Amino acid sequence: MSGGQQSYQLSEYLEKLPGTTFRKLYQQPSTAFAIFRRMLPPLAKVFVQALLYMPSPLLLAELDVWVRAEGKMQRDRALSILRSLHIIQITPPGKDKPQEMQLTTNFKNSLRLALEGGGSHNSFGVPSTLPVDPRIDIAHLDHYARKKWEDILHYVVNSVPAQGDGGGSISTAGPKTSVKELLLLGRLVELRRDTRAGVGITQAGFTFLLQEANAQVWTLLLLWLEAADRAKGEAKGAAAKTDSIDMLSFLFMLASLELGRAYNTDALTETRRNMLPHLVDFGLILVPREDTRQYFPTRLATTLTSSASSLRSVSSGFSAAAANNPGDASSLGTTPETSAASKGSIIIETNYRLYAYTSSPLQIAVLALFTQLNMRFAGMATGRLTRDSIRRAIGFGITADQIISYLASHAHDQMVRAAAATGRPVLPPTVVDQIRLWQLENERMRTSAGFLFKDFDSLEEYVSLSSYADEIGVLVWRNDKKRMFYAIKMEQLRDYLKSRKKAE
Amino acid sequence: MVKAVRGVLVECEPAIKSILVHIDSTHHHEFIIEDLDETHLFVKEAMLQVLKSKLEERLRETYRPEEPLEDSE
Repeated sequence: MSGGQQSYQLSEYLEKLPGTTFRKLYQQPSTAFAIFRRMLPPLAKVFVQALLYMPSPLLLAELDVWVRAEGKMQRDRALSILRSLHIIQITPPGKDKPQEMQLTTNFKNSLRLALEGGGSHNSFGVPSTLPVDPRIDIAHLDHYARKKWEDILHYVVNSVPAQGDGGGSISTAGPKTSVKELLLLGRLVELRRDTRAGVGITQAGFTFLLQEANAQVWTLLLLWLEAADRAKGEAKGAAAKTDSIDMLSFLFMLASLELGRAYNTDALTETRRNMLPHLVDFGLILVPREDTRQYFPTRLATTLTSSASSLRSVSSGFSAAAANNPGDASSLGTTPETSAASKGSIIIETNYRLYAYTSSPLQIAVLALFTQLNMRFAGMATGRLTRDSIRRAIGFGITADQIISYLASHAHDQMVRAAAATGRPVLPPTVVDQIRLWQLENERMRTSAGFLFKDFDSLEEYVSLSSYADEIGVLVWRNDKKRMFYAIKMEQLRDYLKSRKKAE
Repeated sequence: MVKAVRGVLVECEPAIKSILVHIDSTHHHEFIIEDLDETHLFVKEAMLQVLKSKLEERLRETYRPEEPLEDSE
């Protein structure tokens, strides 16, 4: 949907980078390791692991022995991802020589270094040897990071035109001006005079709000990288390029650091040191006021490259941390409500009434995006899902699926328990269906941006290119009679055509 | 020579499609690049929002959905 295309994701950003950038990125073991960990599907990881210590290139045909015939699709997709991230090289098809594949040199060397240790690359951060302030423990870092991040989310939420009492009557200090400018630049909010904050939320902003925390952090970081790129690109050019590569690999390095540990700022390059104030604004790191020679990564930073499925999300990490240290958490001002908010607090009935057991202004404000909130009590808010409230949300660019998944992931324990006991879905099916129907009423057309391929010279050319598009998973629509097909991406299809031409 | 054209794939019901085609024909064909089949159109990316709002307008003239019954609070 329209919102999905605008939300910036790491893989899309990486795919657009040229090969030279990747070569430089992969000089850092931490980067190679982070890409391996976060960006690759399981089968691709298996391929990389097998190739890692192989002394000579592998014949592409031999791969067929490893993968069962019915797994051809997954194999092609894995290879396509590995190629787009410049992790493997495959020799072009030729008549006299079979195709071979191998890992790109930098990636191979760096991943080996990351696994075996050794080298003097300092790629995984240099721990500070200075004495550490005992007050800075994990609970403190979590509290600090959550405060910073919720400030940013609040700023975005509060830019909703006032409606009901959910629109945020709470005044927080708000994020720094630089962060506000970034949100504006990324078009998550836009300048508008009819709201209290002077800015209004955009479609992309809504998508941003309903994302899980990890995706939100990346969205913001990539906006920032792009902004920095542009600003420097105007100033100098070639030097700026290396800067942004260094910035990106610094982010990957942060992700490999240990939570609750102090690291040395003196060991950083100048570019990286310049990044620190911004990262402090986002809440990714903490620099103690008394001693700026140290920095502490927070949970927002250390979970950057963990995959959402295999490791707990940032918010559940927060609540787990709060539960582990109840004493510390309360003394630092973490209210029980905020940790409950991340656990789930929403009850929804078959008559579309909604009860949210929360006093987190952030959660109430998010709910107000698609709910007609009626009453607010201490620790609880009630409302209803109505045709108009859903319609308004969809008008903002939120999709029914986003609303449903938000409700499902924030459902109250009672609902989850009752559903598990009776073997039914967590949300009442009538409500889920009705939300979808309300969306269909508004969304008469489903759209996706991409490329239409037509005017093929021969049937054979059409068949081979369209089935290749299907294999790598970019084909959406095809018509064999008209010899046309529609694909969401074209770079790899273009490369495929080129290599075909060469082979002929 | 094979060509790749940039644009937006629109998928909709046949009834909606015929309205879209009609809107296009009354606006100097400035929206649609290619009529693909009964339920698919290929349109210009820049014109998508205009097309969407034109469709909304057209539907509002003809379509009055029933409000669900209000229950007492």
